[in-house]
Amino acid sequence: MSSVREIDLERVKPYADHLGDGIVQFSFTLPVPYGLAARKAAQELARKMGFEHPEVVHYQRLTEGYTYFVMFGECTETVDYATLSDEGFEIEYMSEDQIEAFAQEQIGRPIVIVGAASGTDTHSVGIDAMLNLKGFHGHHGLEGYKAFETHNLGSQVPNSVLVARAIDLNADAILVSQTVTQQNLHISNLTELVEIVEAEGKRSEIILTCGGPRVSHELAKELGYDAGFSKGTYPHHVASFIVRELAARGAAA
Amino acid sequence: MVSDLIAPVRRLALVGLAKNTGKTETLAAILRELAEQSTCVGVTSIGRDGEEHDVIDARIEKPRIVLQAGSLVASTDALVRASGLAHERLAQTGVRTPLGEVVIARLAEQGAIEVAGPSAAEDLRRVSDAMIGFGAEIALIDGSIDRRAASSPAVADGLVIATGAVLSEDVEEVVAVTKDAVDLVRLPAAASPRVDRSTGGGEELITLERGLVLNAEPAEIAALLREHPGASTFHVDGALGERFLDGLLAARTERAGRELRIVAGDPTKVFLTRRGPDWYRRQGLAIKVVRTIDLKAITINPVAPQSHRFDSRELRGLIEAAVPEVPVLDVLDESYLALAK
Repeated sequence: MSSVREIDLERVKPYADHLGDGIVQFSFTLPVPYGLAARKAAQELARKMGFEHPEVVHYQRLTEGYTYFVMFGECTETVDYATLSDEGFEIEYMSEDQIEAFAQEQIGRPIVIVGAASGTDTHSVGIDAMLNLKGFHGHHGLEGYKAFETHNLGSQVPNSVLVARAIDLNADAILVSQTVTQQNLHISNLTELVEIVEAEGKRSEIILTCGGPRVSHELAKELGYDAGFSKGTYPHHVASFIVRELAARGAAA
Repeated sequence: MVSDLIAPVRRLALVGLAKNTGKTETLAAILRELAEQSTCVGVTSIGRDGEEHDVIDARIEKPRIVLQAGSLVASTDALVRASGLAHERLAQTGVRTPLGEVVIARLAEQGAIEVAGPSAAEDLRRVSDAMIGFGAEIALIDGSIDRRAASSPAVADGLVIATGAVLSEDVEEVVAVTKDAVDLVRLPAAASPRVDRSTGGGEELITLERGLVLNAEPAEIAALLREHPGASTFHVDGALGERFLDGLLAARTERAGRELRIVAGDPTKVFLTRRGPDWYRRQGLAIKVVRTIDLKAITINPVAPQSHRFDSRELRGLIEAAVPEVPVLDVLDESYLALAK
């Protein structure tokens, strides 16, 4: 029953069962008690969001007075993909071997990287995945590369202490991870770090990169970082950026 | 008019105390007024400006930045091209950002453009001076989020601060946070070391080691005060944070009564989040700077997007009372718009 449908890149919309059906699965929580009225509220809200034929496919009591919903709905909007480009931030990712060879040839000395989950953030999972030998998903972290000398300071590191260590170690790059994003806490933490680096007069000398589930290159630019890494980032992505950026800055020993 | 207040400034920084305090609206008002006067402007941003939607909260629509023909702009190559405006590219700056390399261009027609300039203070100064070199009579440097680096006297020679309802649902809290931020920006100049020596009768001026200030270990701070029992002025070259200040206060109890002075390079190097400079002064710790910032005006946004709003006149009045000697404006208020006509 396969009819190969042409994809109209000027009018792209989500799909679930067949191309163009517009079906979206989404979830949210409402501060109302579990019950039929809650279900009606969710459906009405989804309709107001612009979804056609919204359905509650699952809902449950989250805690007293709160209900969680999983919804289906049809999105009627489209986007013109054909006019969009990847332009702006293009890094060609290298493999681990390519990174080692590139670093040896272009930098020729160990690249010092200091990383932490800074400020009040207690989650070291992101920074560990990037820096520690073990890495994740079969990609080991920067510690396992010959090119890098890594220092993982762990979590809840005050920004000023992170900067002090980076200066002490003559770091080429600071890698900072922010997992907690409630009340946009990651934003104030990340701006404070970049401002301290500026105040120390080290902004031009140190590559600043940030990572976390709600970090993007656009956000990195707003915050004054050199790069921002989001979900789906592997250590060799970060490593590719750092060696290329260092080489571009002519920072060979 | 905000353009009158900033008139003599060559490089003006705009800094918001948070996102959505109306900083870009202030920039838009300045641009409108300078266009009326046919002043040639150069515009850059430490972040990204003129984008259609907010990068943190996509529900919030942002004002566009409209520039006149002949204006200069320092933005990324891709964004200049994406504006679709006819332009002449004057220089590559070699400054790389996550959104591409920053170029300097002169617009050949009027229109809206997204501006994303250098992320580092030093580079901001460089591109601002380059735009002035290409004929801009004033370089406007827009800040980003609540970043203060652009307002450093090493970058700009004048500052406009944007504040607003977004800071708190409590109007008094908005005023208090604004006052602390302004007190920080207007930290007073330290008397020159020479004067200090002549008056101090053998007083020591100590320049603190950076690691000591950044790490702010209470034991090290206490040892410092013991080593220099006569010192009353400490100089900090880099970042001065509240962890260090609090450590100093704790250690100082041993020498109760004597005021300590701590001198930083400029206000952007001082990091206070919980308490303002006033509080530290009352504890006997005076924070001063080598280079001051010239605050020209405060603009307010009485509306917090997706939340609450205050009366513009009331908020302006409260801030004027709390922060003397600085004009407070709401560039979108009817009274201001009437003035502009």
